[in-house]
Amino acid sequence: MATLPEVSDSASPRGEPWVWFTGLGLVVGLVMIAGLLALVLWNGAKVFWAPPVPEARLKDGRTLLGQLAQRRVKPSSPANAPRYERQYQVGLRELNGQSFLWVDESEVVSESFPADVVGLERMENGPAFVRPVALVRADGSRLEASSPGFFPALLAEVERAESVRRRHSVLVRDAIGGVNAAMESARIDLRRAEDKGGDLVPIRTRIAALEKEYAALRERAEAVLAEAGKGGLESRDGAGRSVVSPSLTLVRAWLPNRMGPGERFGLMMSRVREFVFDEPREANTEGGLFPAMFGTLVMTVFMSLLVTPFGVIAAIYLREYAAQGPVLRAVRISVNNLAGVPSIVFGVFGLGFFVYVLGGSVDRLFFADQLKYNNNTPVFGTGGLLWCSLTLALMTLPVVIVATEEALAAVPRGMREASLAAGASKWQTVRHILLPASAPGILTGIILAMARGAGEVAPLMLVGVVKLAPTLPFDGTAPFLHLDRKFMHLGFHVYDLGFQSPDSDAARPMVFATTLLLIILVVALNLGAIWIRNRLRRRFRGAAF
Amino acid sequence: MDDKVVTGTPPESRFQVARGTLLADVWMGRLIRLGGVGVIAAVIGMLLFLLWQVVPLFSGAEVTPQAAVALRPGAVGFGEDESGEVVYAAHPDGTLRFVKASDGSSVTDWSPPAGSPAVTAVRVQSREGQVLLGHADGSVSSVTVSFKVSFASDGRRSVEPEVKSEPPRQVGEKGRAVTEVWAVRATNTRLFVVRQASPRGSELRALRLAERRGLGGRAVVTPGEPFAIAPDVDDVGQVLVPSTADSVLVLLPGGEVRAYAGEGDRMDLIQSFRPFPGAGRAPSAAGLIFGDVSAVFLSAEGEQRVWAIHPVKQSDGRSLRRWGEVREPVRLPGPGAGVWAAAGNKCYLLAAGGELQLRNLTTGSVRWQGEAPPGSARQVVFSRNYDRMSALAADGSLRRWKIEDHHPDSSWSAFFGRIWYEGADGPAFVWQSSSGSDEFEAKYSLVPLIYGTVKGTFYALLFALPIALLAAVYVSQFLRPDLRLIVKPLMEVMASLPSVVLGFLAGLWLAPVVDANLVPLLCALAALAPAGLASGWIWSRLPQPVRRRARPGLEFLWLAPVVFLCVCAAWSLGPSVESALFTVTDPSGAQVSDFREWWRVSTGLAYDARNSLVVGFVMGFAVIPVVFTIAEDALSNVPAALTSGSLALGASRWQTVWRVVVPTAVSGIVSAVMIGFGRAVGETMIVVMATGNTAVMEANPFNGMRTLSANIAVELPEAPAGHTHFRALFLGACCLFLLTFILNTLAEVLRQRLRERYKVV
Repeated sequence: MATLPEVSDSASPRGEPWVWFTGLGLVVGLVMIAGLLALVLWNGAKVFWAPPVPEARLKDGRTLLGQLAQRRVKPSSPANAPRYERQYQVGLRELNGQSFLWVDESEVVSESFPADVVGLERMENGPAFVRPVALVRADGSRLEASSPGFFPALLAEVERAESVRRRHSVLVRDAIGGVNAAMESARIDLRRAEDKGGDLVPIRTRIAALEKEYAALRERAEAVLAEAGKGGLESRDGAGRSVVSPSLTLVRAWLPNRMGPGERFGLMMSRVREFVFDEPREANTEGGLFPAMFGTLVMTVFMSLLVTPFGVIAAIYLREYAAQGPVLRAVRISVNNLAGVPSIVFGVFGLGFFVYVLGGSVDRLFFADQLKYNNNTPVFGTGGLLWCSLTLALMTLPVVIVATEEALAAVPRGMREASLAAGASKWQTVRHILLPASAPGILTGIILAMARGAGEVAPLMLVGVVKLAPTLPFDGTAPFLHLDRKFMHLGFHVYDLGFQSPDSDAARPMVFATTLLLIILVVALNLGAIWIRNRLRRRFRGAAF
Repeated sequence: MDDKVVTGTPPESRFQVARGTLLADVWMGRLIRLGGVGVIAAVIGMLLFLLWQVVPLFSGAEVTPQAAVALRPGAVGFGEDESGEVVYAAHPDGTLRFVKASDGSSVTDWSPPAGSPAVTAVRVQSREGQVLLGHADGSVSSVTVSFKVSFASDGRRSVEPEVKSEPPRQVGEKGRAVTEVWAVRATNTRLFVVRQASPRGSELRALRLAERRGLGGRAVVTPGEPFAIAPDVDDVGQVLVPSTADSVLVLLPGGEVRAYAGEGDRMDLIQSFRPFPGAGRAPSAAGLIFGDVSAVFLSAEGEQRVWAIHPVKQSDGRSLRRWGEVREPVRLPGPGAGVWAAAGNKCYLLAAGGELQLRNLTTGSVRWQGEAPPGSARQVVFSRNYDRMSALAADGSLRRWKIEDHHPDSSWSAFFGRIWYEGADGPAFVWQSSSGSDEFEAKYSLVPLIYGTVKGTFYALLFALPIALLAAVYVSQFLRPDLRLIVKPLMEVMASLPSVVLGFLAGLWLAPVVDANLVPLLCALAALAPAGLASGWIWSRLPQPVRRRARPGLEFLWLAPVVFLCVCAAWSLGPSVESALFTVTDPSGAQVSDFREWWRVSTGLAYDARNSLVVGFVMGFAVIPVVFTIAEDALSNVPAALTSGSLALGASRWQTVWRVVVPTAVSGIVSAVMIGFGRAVGETMIVVMATGNTAVMEANPFNGMRTLSANIAVELPEAPAGHTHFRALFLGACCLFLLTFILNTLAEVLRQRLRERYKVV
């Protein structure tokens, strides 16, 4: 209430300290949100940034070349006299065994930033920070690091490797993948024919042809790889050990200590692009998370396609058609309360009912053959996109119902009566008056449902999300939308990378980046809903009769 | 002007509605009704489905009599193959007669090899596929019965018995007939025990064989020397030989039970106890239960008592494994006549007073009871997968029952009661659903999980409620109205943060930070409230011209630097506080000022980095916005007439809020708290990621817990469908569902009452 008294002229009003005390709650709450968002934003953005790479000389004579990852109080140091330690990302897992090294700060004698350090992202064994020696190109020619055109030549080599890899992966994923799928179905046909006494000869010929095709494709793939040649980058790491990185493994190269801010920003953008549009590599700890993002998107959209009609119809029924009374009130309360039921309960229901009961029956009815001849591999009787979407649709149903009901209730009574008085039927009133008037409210509900669905993980863990799916749930092969496929999900990615990853240090940046992406997604959806709701309020403020 | 007057009635069609419109109206009406009712039915169906999955846990066993198998008269023992297709009866002369269970037709007969000494005792151990023959010269031969299953070309199954006999071993005293024989096989030992008649009554002798697997899997057997058990006992009553092969239980006719145990070629008396207190009360029947560390004793007065080996603290502080009574006595319908254990679980059949009872030892539940067939049973055999039991009556007939009991180890008390599990030193609430070993007994008490849920919720609310409610009061009553439009959506954004993100930050970022800076953080938390109050007090004591400068409704901006200063002060003072208050002497003798160490030493409780405080703090992110939004709504909807009245009468703004607004909106605030409670109860990912997930029951704020929801998320993907574990997790989900549903309904009812109250005002 804004009706506050002026500060009185005599003594100060009673209880003023308590007012301040309540203000404390707001301050702490705001600080919490701001702190959390800032933390995620800072750590998430830092992942893509390429800082200068120091060469650290240690007391024991070793030298390290690596990016400073974090600095913290040593766990064992006393609280009143803290000692610090630094974590360097040195990369080169093939030499160091791990990517990250902890060094006591007192061990570091000096740090310098040699200009010739090259940062490398590679297909395997993590990144590398090295001092180049020479570049051996595909034709065998050798370019010393001291020669003027060295770095552009290295970049050209990286680009060439990239194009070779891309051609190779297209070949492997599309052509060979297609042959594999055909082979799989041919084998099932063969087993069926063997069992039922069909004609085996044409199937055997088919399999033979496929095998031949497979061999030919393999050969072509090898040939593509061979094009990259035996060249590579010869270099030395911080300790002076020789490192040879074949050019085929190079993903990205940069000069961390020589780049200008513009180049650094360019590198950051290129990493963000990879993160959003590429596939993961190195057990999800590097590369992009396009499949997870795509999976989240497909699942969320499919879920909202399922939840919208049912939610809206149920709300229209509750508000416009059902006889109002104590029973309906009880029903309405139950539906509203479903929004407060823990999401994991929906997951349990999804697993028990959708996967085992519904999926099991679907498999028995329509895929009995496939089950029998494909080693009892279930099709729908296991977690998958369809069951995830249905589970989340059920979970978000109350959100949509409540939002739609509220939007319908907000339509002024006069509009309904005017429509009916003008001779419109009930359905016509709903269709032409109520639904358009309440559309923004319904949309708000759907967006809120999507936001909740996109961020939810616990139920999905039970009904079909996996850490690494070989295929996307939506692709170019018929029937395009593969409802039975398991898929990757941003939220599950965070859980899996953060807690199931063997190399948690290496996974950490990726988790922060994923977290940032997920938060941006969910917060954007929520802000959208809030914005629509505010517009809606304004629109109806003047609409009362 | 010529007014055209329409005369006459307009044509009938003028009033007719287009057919299409009518049809659309009718059909869409039907569709919407169908859809609406369908959606509501689906919602109710969900609860019913969960219940339906759980119901089998609480139903007993179904036992149906099957056709009896005709055996030749005179059988003293029997065994059967795993599928129950072939039954063999052992006769007093040592012959085994194999018959088909379906029609009683003979399959084959086996007799002891010619030239072996006369058979004087027979025991069939169907579970092990072993028949023991005691001979007139005091020797024992062991006969192994196995079944080979083969499929004919037309897919028909046939079961072929195979019998192998070992040469007799001298166990008893030479030349005296064996009257009863037992044998068990443990990992590296075999133990034979025989009873022989003695001048005073009967006595026991035993032989132990050490077995070692040599290279190539061949067993190397080293026989020991036969030795006497209980040589001082005149007349040995019933004998129980546990399959651990390290001990023997001897029941004396006077009611005493003696446990003998030892290694090598001797067994000494280690314990003597009376299962039924009072002199002269002797067990009328006794049996070991699967696992052979528990024994069930029945008395002639119709009482059941259960004794088991468990660790018992001795006076010198050592803990020894001794027999002790582990269950409440149970009254039976009549004198106990027999106890027979199932083969793969802790169920057993007992006969008492003409009734048969199938009971579970662990939970004490009666799985089934029925009328006992006339006559006494000589032997009862359970199939290995607990789907069938067969009983050989004294008259030689073989009765069979089919058992349908999918969840023998579940019952109300298994999920919610204290249970004394085997090997434990007392009854306890335990959740332990899997383990590496085979003899492992799954423990499904939901109590530790419910405890963990309540604990997590408690710490979350402890942190979240003050902040959320204070913020709600401030925002609804004191904050400048235009700022409210920013603060409320911000809180809603906070509500939408995915819990997996919060869990990740809690587990990987916050837990180490809290671990390293615990004392400064606790100091900061403790200092915040006084600092807020103090700054308010100082403000109100400032000279009026200063106060006049600031507009009311923006106090929180002044508080921000206060909070900042508070945290800075706590950070710089934290180490000194720690060394002043929390200094302990560590094992090496050095003085360490470390709160974690201090907590461990001074309270004896555990300290984990991922503890309830971290969970509580992060769950606050999930709970604060929910509670805030609802409480703020309730507070700001208090009719303006009330507040204006109060202010007009001269109350200060705080007096108005505290005496008028809060009491009016109290049911709304309670409803907000309940909804927050529901949110915290069901939170899954934060708890999974930010605690150690150990199912302990300790209120200690510095260790973790395992909540119902986290337990489901962690274990359900591995639980086989339809298994007890699977259903127990469903039961957990049901508990969560009902708890949150009831809480939310109560909250909704409260809110509706509040609305009524506002209407009256």
